[in-house]
Amino acid sequence: MADRGQKYRPDPDKLLELATRETRGKLTVFLGAAPGVGKTYAMLLRAQRLKDDGEDIVVGIAETHGRAETAELLEGLEVIPRKQVTYRDRLLEEFDIDAAIARKPKILIVDELAHTNVPGSRHPKRYQDIEELLWLGIDVWTAMNVQHLESLTDVVTSITGVTVREIVPDTMLKRADDVQLVDLPSAELIARLKEGKVYLPGNAERAADGFFKPANLTALRELALRRTADRVDDQMIDILRQNAIEGPWATGERLLVCVGPDSLSEKVVRTASRLASGLNARWLVVSLTQTNDAGAETSKRIDELLDLAERLGAETKRIIAQDFVEEIFRIARRENVTQIVVGRPKSRRFANPFRRSLPDEIIKRFTDIGVHIVTGEEQGVSYTPPTLRKRTRFELAIAIAVPVITTGATTLLGLGASNLVHLQNLSMVFLVAVILSGMISGRLAALIAAGLSFVFYNFFFLEPLHDLSIAKPHQLFSLIIFLAVALMIGDLTGRLRDQVARSRNQAKNTQALYEFSRKLSGTARLDDVLIATAAHLHSTFGTGVSILLPDEDELTLRAAWPPDLTLDGTDMTAVRWAFEKNERAGHDTATLPQIGWQFLPILTSHGVAGVLGLLMQDHEPLSENEDRMLTAILDQTAIAIDRALLVKENAKTTALQESEKLHTALFSSLSHDLKTPLASITGAVTTLRHLGDRMNQDSRDDLLLSIEEEAGRLTRFVANLFDMTRIEAGTLKVKNVPVDAAEVIASSIERIKKLKPEITVEISIAPDLPAAGGDPAMLGQVLFNLLDNAAKYAGDGPIAVYARRDDGDVAISVTDQGKGIPPKDLDKIFDKFYRRAKGDGRAAGTGLGLSIARGFVESMGGTIKAESPAVRKRGTRFIVRLPLANPREATA
Amino acid sequence: MSRHRILVVDDEPQIQRFLNPALTASGYEVIQASTGAEAERLIATIAPDLVILDLGLPDKDGKDVIETVRAFSEVPIIVLSARDREAEKIAALDLGANDYVEKPFGIGELLARIRTSLRRQVAGASVPSRFELNGLLVDMSKRIVTRGGEELHLTRKEYQLLVHLVLHAGMVVTHRQLLASVWGAAHVEDLQYLRVFVGQLRAKIEDDANNPQFIRTEPGVGYRFAGE
Repeated sequence: MADRGQKYRPDPDKLLELATRETRGKLTVFLGAAPGVGKTYAMLLRAQRLKDDGEDIVVGIAETHGRAETAELLEGLEVIPRKQVTYRDRLLEEFDIDAAIARKPKILIVDELAHTNVPGSRHPKRYQDIEELLWLGIDVWTAMNVQHLESLTDVVTSITGVTVREIVPDTMLKRADDVQLVDLPSAELIARLKEGKVYLPGNAERAADGFFKPANLTALRELALRRTADRVDDQMIDILRQNAIEGPWATGERLLVCVGPDSLSEKVVRTASRLASGLNARWLVVSLTQTNDAGAETSKRIDELLDLAERLGAETKRIIAQDFVEEIFRIARRENVTQIVVGRPKSRRFANPFRRSLPDEIIKRFTDIGVHIVTGEEQGVSYTPPTLRKRTRFELAIAIAVPVITTGATTLLGLGASNLVHLQNLSMVFLVAVILSGMISGRLAALIAAGLSFVFYNFFFLEPLHDLSIAKPHQLFSLIIFLAVALMIGDLTGRLRDQVARSRNQAKNTQALYEFSRKLSGTARLDDVLIATAAHLHSTFGTGVSILLPDEDELTLRAAWPPDLTLDGTDMTAVRWAFEKNERAGHDTATLPQIGWQFLPILTSHGVAGVLGLLMQDHEPLSENEDRMLTAILDQTAIAIDRALLVKENAKTTALQESEKLHTALFSSLSHDLKTPLASITGAVTTLRHLGDRMNQDSRDDLLLSIEEEAGRLTRFVANLFDMTRIEAGTLKVKNVPVDAAEVIASSIERIKKLKPEITVEISIAPDLPAAGGDPAMLGQVLFNLLDNAAKYAGDGPIAVYARRDDGDVAISVTDQGKGIPPKDLDKIFDKFYRRAKGDGRAAGTGLGLSIARGFVESMGGTIKAESPAVRKRGTRFIVRLPLANPREATA
Repeated sequence: MSRHRILVVDDEPQIQRFLNPALTASGYEVIQASTGAEAERLIATIAPDLVILDLGLPDKDGKDVIETVRAFSEVPIIVLSARDREAEKIAALDLGANDYVEKPFGIGELLARIRTSLRRQVAGASVPSRFELNGLLVDMSKRIVTRGGEELHLTRKEYQLLVHLVLHAGMVVTHRQLLASVWGAAHVEDLQYLRVFVGQLRAKIEDDANNPQFIRTEPGVGYRFAGE
């Protein structure tokens, strides 16, 4: 029962697909069998009807090919103007995707799905433009002929003899929400063709005679009809799955397709694709290789093959195994495979009679699984061993020169010392030449050396001399043995050398990666991480590197190597694409391939953290090894970026906590300073009211006095708070007038004496003290605060106030003889609410006085500083410096 | 009756400045201390009848003073504290302070608290067998509670709760103290018990449980049974 429940549950993948589809635009494809069946006509006709119903439908691009009846249908429809593009001095018209996106209609008509865009466009192919439009939620109507479908290209070629160049991946049609078949019987189409109603562009015109044969058209028509029918099937199955309806769809057919780097494999994939869609079966394509290090050429072929398979709708897997049959068996069991598709070349002239081919082994092994064998000649470029291919000309020259030199030298040695070296032993010397060549230049050189040795030995040393023929039969035998040994040794030495070189290279890469990751782990700052990455990539690949991270909403260039690299507008478009779509963009990709940069998303566990750019313009495409290296570096970078961001976040949190702690302390300090005067005022007032008549006059007077004093204290405190707020808000209005320091000092001392009559102040003012420039009221408050502070900490000693001229300043100092301030606290005393005693039992005061003093002095353009100890290891001296008054103002 | 001697411990001269004449005018003898150490010494040597203690002292925390003093003296302690320091008040009460007054306070409030604490001190260890206030009678010898002459039926816990509050009438009792004395030391954190039972008790003894006259809530601290 549980099993049944499982079975009828809606398929989550299908539901997810449906959900994405709802935000995506809907794609409608008008599918035809051949040009001229009237796809554009049908599309526009329907558009006219919808427009009359008030739909927001706009023509992005529609090809009328000069046909009047089609052109008529365009009338009344909104058409987006085409973009003019210059390419190789020719002015071309192209669909303007940016204008279409800006217009953002409900439905957009974009004709010719298989169209290839002018080089330099955002995407190379129009179907990629359409993908983007759909992604942005715009419904798109488009048209195509069945021959452009990727899985059918080989069939179309074999039917019509015309090679199809413009290809649309099958997934495009598969994911279309609606496919409209535009059908026309073959005879009618041919009639239209003869009337000249069918427009044929460039290439097709030449092929037209061969193409528009009734047999071809009938075959194409059948293909189109079948495709549409298949789609209807698919749709029904989707609906069944989404709604968890049990149905015939659960056939469970599953194909396993085995491919290798050979050229037949492409045919195998296409055949399997048709088979799978005919059976409505899911299909899995596996590539089989024996080692991980198969060489760049092989990997590239396999990549292309698997890409093709994915575009045709297959799942893919790469398998590295020694025993293919065993591995295929394992996968087949695990994936519940019901049928296997495998290729077998037709002509197997060099087949090893002792080894059975893979298809034979599979057939022998599987008794319950159907095996399809795809046969074919290996067409086109046959698969060649990778080592012979990826050589530069220079390497090739070396590979030839080295064996020529070594074998030549051996020959000369043999000729010069023929009386010293026995003929039989000379063959040993030639073997040395082979080994040397292999060691110096690899396998190819060794094999060439073996061949040359064979020739030279025969030519120069075997009777008859200077002739490649052989006189004595036993010499023929030893010559053949020599060749065999030379070839084997050459091959082995060469392989060994190649392997050593490869592992050395790998070790170097590993070492470099290790160095890099160590460098990264030592840096916690984001910018250091980015710079290190850019520099490392630059030295690894020898090209320009840029790294961009999102900052607010914009992606900004955070690191580049060389550091003066810049990015232009088009580059930034590719950057945003890579960031938003999480895929590569720019050079050699599907998006903006014409630009010099290739941009790769940097993926962390929280999504795309940024974008890495590599300047690939004058750089060879990355080899598979380099690409792997790049991925590894990117992974490391992503982790480091993640960590740097976390560290930053952490620091921010700590700072926030610190500031919260500070706020709590400030608040409790403020609350105490406000409450103590309030408490004593309340206490005194209530005492007077309740108990006043039981007290003597003195006590009552003292209580009243205390109320007055506390109210004054409260007033000063509140005034201080306001001053502080004004300083912090920057709303202080500062006068700049000549100030007579002596006058201000006298009035400040008068004020403090009123409050604290017990203190003594010594004053010393230079006789010809010039006027300072500033605000007299503010300076008065500054001095009062300094005196108040001094009085609090001075103890019994007198407070000294000096004023004199110091260069261009007037310097006023206030010195007490208290305990002084430890040097480490000297910086802090000007901070808000800093007080030298802790806790509730602090010295009475607001903790704002010095802070306000500094705020005022600085706003007058002066400075204030504290020194301690001041005199005889005691006391603190505050020095205020104000600039001299402007002489013109002073005299004015 | 000799005059009660009150020790005022506060480092703010402004507070001493009005407390001293106010308490003297009310008939008490006033001794002053401005540090914790001085307070402890004076309590040990001259044994005041009551201590008014500010919790913020320059040399040590007022709570430490309470703890030290409680080791050798049962002298009533009234704590002066700011309203925003609930945790401090509760800690002081749980350490053995008898009551608290929030700053700023009116002298009348402080004098009332002083009287309540002193009265209890005079009553000493002898537990009264009857308590009567505004028509509510708690007869502890007979275990009877009447309201306007009518007997109320209280559960055992409700009765224990009421007795504990009544014995401390006029003084604040913290949640913790109530929970420990009625439910036991293991339940000192179970505040919800207390809320439920106080609610039930109010429903039985108060005229209007929403506007209680007998059991008043001291927000965040505990309850205070009406006194005087």
